[in-house]
Amino acid sequence: MNLATNIWTWIGAFLTFFIFSFLYRDNPFYKFAEHLFVGVSVGYSISISYHNVLYPDLIVPLFKHGQLLNIVPLVFGLCYFARFVPKGAWLVRLPMGLVLGFGAGAAIPATLQASIIKQLQGAVLTPSIFSRWDFFLWALISLVGVICTIIYFFFSKERVKSTKFAAEIGIIFLMVGFGASFGYTVMARISLLIGRFQFLLRDWLGIIK
Amino acid sequence: MKFFQLLAKIDRKIIFLILAVVIIVPLIKPFGLISRASSRAEAVFNAVDAIPPGKPLMISIDFDPGSMPELYPMLTSILRHAMAKNIKVIVLGLWLTGMGLGEQALATVSQEYNKEYGKDYVFLGWRSGVLPVILGMGEDIKKTFPTDYYGNPLDSLPMMNDIKNYRDIPFFITLSAGDPGMATWIAYAQARYGLKMGAGTTAVSAADAYPYLQTGQLTGLLGGMKGASEYEFLIKEKGYSKAQTPASQAMDSQSLAHLLILILIVLGNIGYFFIRKGTAKKEEK
Repeated sequence: MNLATNIWTWIGAFLTFFIFSFLYRDNPFYKFAEHLFVGVSVGYSISISYHNVLYPDLIVPLFKHGQLLNIVPLVFGLCYFARFVPKGAWLVRLPMGLVLGFGAGAAIPATLQASIIKQLQGAVLTPSIFSRWDFFLWALISLVGVICTIIYFFFSKERVKSTKFAAEIGIIFLMVGFGASFGYTVMARISLLIGRFQFLLRDWLGIIK
Repeated sequence: MKFFQLLAKIDRKIIFLILAVVIIVPLIKPFGLISRASSRAEAVFNAVDAIPPGKPLMISIDFDPGSMPELYPMLTSILRHAMAKNIKVIVLGLWLTGMGLGEQALATVSQEYNKEYGKDYVFLGWRSGVLPVILGMGEDIKKTFPTDYYGNPLDSLPMMNDIKNYRDIPFFITLSAGDPGMATWIAYAQARYGLKMGAGTTAVSAADAYPYLQTGQLTGLLGGMKGASEYEFLIKEKGYSKAQTPASQAMDSQSLAHLLILILIVLGNIGYFFIRKGTAKKEEK
């Protein structure tokens, strides 16, 4: 056993126990750690935003180099604060409109290309799939899964016998998907717990290397 | 029947305690279960390995300390691999709260391999606005990041002289804990600029990555702590690193905890089945 001598490691260990104490029940120690985390995150974010964005991209060009064009983004940015003044609250629509317009314009073609067209290509049986029997089998299963799942989510018409069967197959694919996601979620949560125990046993207590 | 009713009444705190024991014991006394690399992890490894010395690998830190146990070992392992092979490294991030982790990993690994800042690696840091950053770098990295994380102009860093945009980046890896992350890079950098990329994700997001892997939009994938341990295994096997392997050390605990959860799920379902059957019989009477 080789106890940590760094004060921050001790603080980290105690904060870990404060958070773990929620497993017993909600308590002031947990509340303290939770609020401290939120406060530190916001403070850290403000500091990094200032040093990485505001200072080099706005303050230096505008006030040190006299690039007056930077007044435009400054004014647009300040419009966000108009929300606090009831009479001028409408001004917030200017930056919001700009952000939404740019976001939608950039996102629609990109999402279509990356998540729909490419995925459709992936679901279609191409000649290369016939090169090996296992490639063909997996591609076929994927194709059946895609078609049946889409049929399950088609609600505009009452299901007849054949579409009902396909929709039921679709449910099986959905359940397998949910099961895989749940399995990975368990793995993720256990990993985080292991990470904390590694910190306590290695960095704090020095029991493991 | 009584046994299952007793099981159903177990206080959840006892289950927490058993889980803690199951995790702590293998950390102190490892069983040494064998961990092998999957073809997905090998694909990421081979893509990094294929970068010619002197050319850059770009890594995006799209996570924060909340996902550190899963993604930080991936970051250090990839950095070790790149620096051992004299590959230049550019690190940036879309998650502001992950910047401290990037700085820490670069400081640790660069010291191990005697690498010089500005010549062998660069830390661009974080800029606000996800889309303008990703799209902007596709045109000109120096216009998007006029300065690095420490305020040095990129023109003053020798490593950045020959790097203009994604065309000069042979391989890119996003270490992603959610949004913005893997899906954002695929939509705006891979689909639009053809950037060759791999991903390291938290286990929660790993299932979402498989469709992109199947279509070839992702070259390879490291999923969760297991993915990190696979990369650690690969760099150790090839002799690129002798450093500690925290993700691999955790695999015994992970396996045992999974086994416990499996047993609890099976027992819980059997118990629920018998309790429900018993209740139905009582109602019939």
